[in-house]
Amino acid sequence: MNILITGLITGSMLALLAIGFSLIFGVARIVNIAHTAFYMVAAYCIYYLSVRVGLNPLLSMLTAVAAVTVLGLLVYKFLIDPIREHEGAVLIATIALAMVFQEVTLRLFTGDYRTVDFLITGFFTVGGVKVFYQQLLTFGVVLVTLGAVWFLLMKTRLGLAIRSMAEDREVANLMGMNESRLAMITLGISVALAGLTGAVLAPLTVLNPYMWMEPLIIMMAVVVLGGLGSIKGSFVAAFILGFTEALVVFLVPKGAFLKGSVALTIMILVLLIRPEGLFGVSFEEER
Amino acid sequence: MLLEIAHLNVRYEKAVLINDLSLHVDEGELVSLVGPNGAGKSTTLRAISGLVAWEREIKRRSAGGEIVLEGTVTFDGERIDQIPAHEIVRRGLVLCPERRRPFREMTVLENLMAGAYLLRDRQKCRGTLDKVYYLFPLLQQRSRQIAGTLSGGEQQMLAIGRAFMSDPKLLCIDEPSTGLAPLIRREVFDKISEISRLGITILLVEQEVGVVFQMAHRNYVLSSGKIIAEGTGQQLLADEVLRKTYLGL
Repeated sequence: MNILITGLITGSMLALLAIGFSLIFGVARIVNIAHTAFYMVAAYCIYYLSVRVGLNPLLSMLTAVAAVTVLGLLVYKFLIDPIREHEGAVLIATIALAMVFQEVTLRLFTGDYRTVDFLITGFFTVGGVKVFYQQLLTFGVVLVTLGAVWFLLMKTRLGLAIRSMAEDREVANLMGMNESRLAMITLGISVALAGLTGAVLAPLTVLNPYMWMEPLIIMMAVVVLGGLGSIKGSFVAAFILGFTEALVVFLVPKGAFLKGSVALTIMILVLLIRPEGLFGVSFEEER
Repeated sequence: MLLEIAHLNVRYEKAVLINDLSLHVDEGELVSLVGPNGAGKSTTLRAISGLVAWEREIKRRSAGGEIVLEGTVTFDGERIDQIPAHEIVRRGLVLCPERRRPFREMTVLENLMAGAYLLRDRQKCRGTLDKVYYLFPLLQQRSRQIAGTLSGGEQQMLAIGRAFMSDPKLLCIDEPSTGLAPLIRREVFDKISEISRLGITILLVEQEVGVVFQMAHRNYVLSSGKIIAEGTGQQLLADEVLRKTYLGL
């Protein structure tokens, strides 16, 4: 039961992170290493607003997501966009960006562990396991968000353009889709998703300036397993890894220390056996 | 004149792909561009639809190789050689690219709707979709099928249909018959003639000279990035040297 709950929650969080990461990679070929750093920034924003300023927790979450999105767009405009076509440079720039976020957070909040209060307290028991309402709430919000993202991508004109751009950007250009505008919008969505993940996860975890590293690695494993650029793949792989992680943590002695290595092992295995991942898209060679 | 290309030059690094090319297409015409492999036929279409400029921009930003693009392209009375690709479509110059390139993960209908991205008027979109379904009844039957699972011929129909959804004044089609069985080729060419009869101007790049010369009003023969002959199919076939050397007939 514990495994099931943890698996579901971890899986759905990973799905949110990985889909955001996949989206911006698909549309603009940006490998955003700072993706999970945005998630950390959002979590700290909430901590600052709700604990230090004393704002209503819900309000501070919304503010945090908005703030992180704006921050993401600014970073895109002034840092990433000018070097967008240079993959190596983007990689280095986003790594640097993540470290900047980390160091600034260290300065402002020190390295101490911080916590954010639950939005709703209380728990109920299923099969002898405590389930906090907060866990349920987090899971619910994540599911609704995933549904909204799915709707946006599959049922709207913007979603169609995003998918077209992700699959073949040259042809998408030929259909009149504006590449730089779409990249900007997608980055906004992507960072907002990272921010939202941070927002809903903040009450369930302890905050520290290094909290972006572990999810980054696991998220990368998810994206590799699901197939780079495939939204469906990210979704399925996120739950596979979420459950694997839960299984390892609960069933293997001292399993908590193995989390990262399990993710990396899966990543390496996938790369060796099936480099395109579960639902990999083999990209049309760009001439 | 709907389209006029004057003194077009395209160079990738040191390689000259298009060398001082000039041609024109009048409204309502079906004009073909033929020639051997590597003559620059596709590059010409890519240049007028803005893809060469797009590629140049990417190369410039990624510090890749140098692409030179010179000359003027006038479409419907307006210079379009400085306009980005996604704006050129809006003006009615639509390219159906080489190798079909459907969005393989999407359904047939989604592909067509992607083509209609700029048609914001629902009614007009619906009307254009009906026309495409009328031209290609098969696409209607398969509208929910994933495009990647269609056969080559079906994918070609889809690619043309998708380009048609962009509401073209000039439809440029790049090598539609490549990799298709003879019977299917015939069908594709028939469809292209049908679109031409609907009054849409077509610039067609093809290898298959025999069929194309019968369809097209005028033809340009391209070799090493230069136009070496122009005329109706009959005129061109009458030239013994041209026929043997460049057309392989």
